[in-house]
Amino acid sequence: MKNIINQIFEIETKLGTENGQNVKRNFERLYYEIEQEGYRIVNPIGQRYDERDVSVEANFLSENHQNKISKVIKPVIYHQIDGEYTLVQKAVVIVE
Amino acid sequence: MANIDFGIDLGTTNSGIGKFQNGKVNVYKNPVGFRETLPSVVAYRNGRILIGDKAREFTKIQPGQVFSSFKRKMGSDYIYNTPLNEQKTAIDFSTLILKELLNFVGEEKPKAAVITIPASFDTIQSNATKTAGHNAGLSEVALLQEPIAACLAYANTQSAEVTEDKKWLVYDFGGGTFDVALVNISDRDLRVIDHEGNNFLGGVDIDQLMVEHLLCPQLEQLFNESGLWKKMVNGENSDYNKLFVELAYKAEEAKKELSINETTYVEVDFNGNFAEIEIKREQFNKLIQPKVEETIKLTKLLLEKNNIQNVQIDRIILVGGTTYIPYIRTSLASSFNCYVDSTIDPTTAIIVGASYFAGTRMLNETTAIDVQQPTTQTEHLKDVKLVYEINSQDPEELLTGLVPNEFSGYYRITRSDGGFDTGIMPFHSRFNEFLRLLPKSINYFNVKIFDKQQQVVFEKDRLAINHGIYNISGQPLPNDICIEVDDTLGTTFLERVFKKNEILPLSKKIYKTISKTILKGTDDKLIINIVEGNAATSPASNLGIGYLEINAADLAVNLLKGTDIEINFGISESRDLTIGIFIDSINLEKQEVFNASSRKVSIEKMRKELENVLGNIDAEIEEFSYNENDQIVDRLNAIRIEIIELLRELIEIEDDVVTDKIFNIDERKRKVFQQFDQLVRGKNILSEIEEYQAYKQEIKEELLLRPNPKIDRTFSNVIKNEQLFLNSGQLSIIRSKTKELKRLARELYYQNDEAYIPLFYDYAHLDLNEYDNHSHVKMLITKGEQAIEKRNFQELKAVISGLYNQLKVKPKDYLEDQNGTLGLR
Repeated sequence: MKNIINQIFEIETKLGTENGQNVKRNFERLYYEIEQEGYRIVNPIGQRYDERDVSVEANFLSENHQNKISKVIKPVIYHQIDGEYTLVQKAVVIVE
Repeated sequence: MANIDFGIDLGTTNSGIGKFQNGKVNVYKNPVGFRETLPSVVAYRNGRILIGDKAREFTKIQPGQVFSSFKRKMGSDYIYNTPLNEQKTAIDFSTLILKELLNFVGEEKPKAAVITIPASFDTIQSNATKTAGHNAGLSEVALLQEPIAACLAYANTQSAEVTEDKKWLVYDFGGGTFDVALVNISDRDLRVIDHEGNNFLGGVDIDQLMVEHLLCPQLEQLFNESGLWKKMVNGENSDYNKLFVELAYKAEEAKKELSINETTYVEVDFNGNFAEIEIKREQFNKLIQPKVEETIKLTKLLLEKNNIQNVQIDRIILVGGTTYIPYIRTSLASSFNCYVDSTIDPTTAIIVGASYFAGTRMLNETTAIDVQQPTTQTEHLKDVKLVYEINSQDPEELLTGLVPNEFSGYYRITRSDGGFDTGIMPFHSRFNEFLRLLPKSINYFNVKIFDKQQQVVFEKDRLAINHGIYNISGQPLPNDICIEVDDTLGTTFLERVFKKNEILPLSKKIYKTISKTILKGTDDKLIINIVEGNAATSPASNLGIGYLEINAADLAVNLLKGTDIEINFGISESRDLTIGIFIDSINLEKQEVFNASSRKVSIEKMRKELENVLGNIDAEIEEFSYNENDQIVDRLNAIRIEIIELLRELIEIEDDVVTDKIFNIDERKRKVFQQFDQLVRGKNILSEIEEYQAYKQEIKEELLLRPNPKIDRTFSNVIKNEQLFLNSGQLSIIRSKTKELKRLARELYYQNDEAYIPLFYDYAHLDLNEYDNHSHVKMLITKGEQAIEKRNFQELKAVISGLYNQLKVKPKDYLEDQNGTLGLR
């Protein structure tokens, strides 16, 4: 499932916001179905970098006080087993 | 006597821990991030001490605050100055790594461990490693050379028996270093004869080589760029810097891919340009050839030094992630003309070997007693107060820790899902930490307090904070909010959208399918009916709070059965209900807001519901009369009269668009339906469950007599979650399940050829006028009788099929799924 989620995420990213408008609902539907299977996908784009957030693997371009996640190569994936979430994939991100 | 059991690989680049248990080794995962290996890196940032993956992130941007490869300084008097104005040695940092690894183990606190050291370590370096182990809280530390650990891992995993002296080469090519060792292996012992290595040769270099020599030249052509590599690494333009980071990541992925496939593709999106670059394994091999050559040269040097010929080498065993590359394996095999053993995971081989060794080493007596004592160290600190909100709607929640008596030490908080870790943070008497929460779930945290020597003195596990599940400030829903949907029996039931006591505001998206074809221009319609009440009761007995119709007359195209429909629900704090629907295939979007003052009720729907119950009530009256239950019969008759009255009033108000009589009728209808429900529902559910159980039993017995794997699978699927649907109180769901069982029972029945005989006679005994061609039918009946006599069931089945085709009106399959009345399933 992890690989399928990554592929869906990559397709969505490739389409971008402009081209992606007419398939937005299809992606929502895909993510809904994935969540029904107990997965939680988090896209940390735009978040401020936090060294305590171990769900992301950051690649820094520069260091300043306003470090933000500017690109997400892979999203965070959690999987729910017996009502509790477990991290199954760290996000791979670029911070600048 | 107990054994040490725990094995630790304290590596230059990465470390890990395992345990020998029941003849096997379990390699532990980091509870933070869930990886088996921990980068041997410590970093200081914003007053925190970070260890492992997070620490490594700052290597490039804050090199002064990141400490790595300290193993190379083990045993020296080299002093590291930290940003917290402390002076640290390699032993201190190794202690931190070891403590972190011991955390992987969980509840059980290891008191002893085997720690691996490079073959090159002298006595001072070895003793320094022991000291780090003791400082990390281990009472007993046994050391083991890394190549020996690797040999043990391979030998034990394969249960290889060694009866004569053999020489193995341990080829260890990791992320940052290369080591090769010559090991003598016999039935008595394992001994490192000699070793060679390069501390600055590893897999990381390969990724950068790929970017520079495989990707850059092609990208320059495709993107019309020049000097791309220089632009990416000179740090002047952030777009190029970003591209470098991305390419390095993709190169690493491609490298892994090429270990499995002959070809891989790297996709690059840069400044609006898109490129796809093909990389062949052949190109990759050529690229890394000089690096591999260097390792082979060192290995040959090792053999020459010790006067060993290739033929004397029994096998080469592989350690380190870089050895996954097939080219390395084939190059080694051809250069040394011997067997290259790659049967175990090279990244954890040292941990596995150390654990096997630990599994055979007995604990000394004092440690053994210590291990048996329950650990008391976490109970040292009394009166620690942790103050926090149990429920939160915010992305972060404040936790305050108060420790009396002027306590100074450190704290660390981690989240159980592995996504949050504060690192080790110094504090005095009190600390405040904003804990990041995973939205809409219960977040469990582990809080640890350490003394100045970083020994645990307090631990609180499973500290729970609910995010967005309960909100104490919001208003709870007094009843379930449900959507009415079709079942497969031609009736409807309620499906819960929001549960009673959920806190407003609420929103949810659900997906359903269209349960009947709605042809454009007809007077058919799709109905979306939302009610408030109890999901386990009949739809019509609940309060309608939202009603939406899609009329066929308004459709531009036909709406086909099976089409997906997206329905969005929202309930505001003031209880306004918003329903939005979207049907992608016909591009139809509609949204409506409902509130108590603008309630919509459909006369037609109400009439159908009343007529439906009127039909059922007659059958119920008959049944209760038969059982001489006069009291209930009287009450049912009263309900019957009220329903007839309501139907009459409905006709009267058909053209009334001014008064609110319709709401009065709706209210009375619900009341009367609730009464009816109360009288008959319990009895009906009970008899439905009885029928379900009877069919279940029948199928079970039949499957025992005549096993059929296909039907068995379907049967298991039908009865899955049985307790849930049998206790749902929803008649319609139980009925649907019984229907599925009936279908299976029928399929089982017709498995038996004999079953076709009574079926044939059913057809044969029908009136001839029900068939088209009488003479043909007579001929078929004669043939059928002859087939029965000859026990020719193939022929009999063909005859039955022929008779069926001759029927003027085909019999209906009473187990077939019925079209919906609402149009939504």
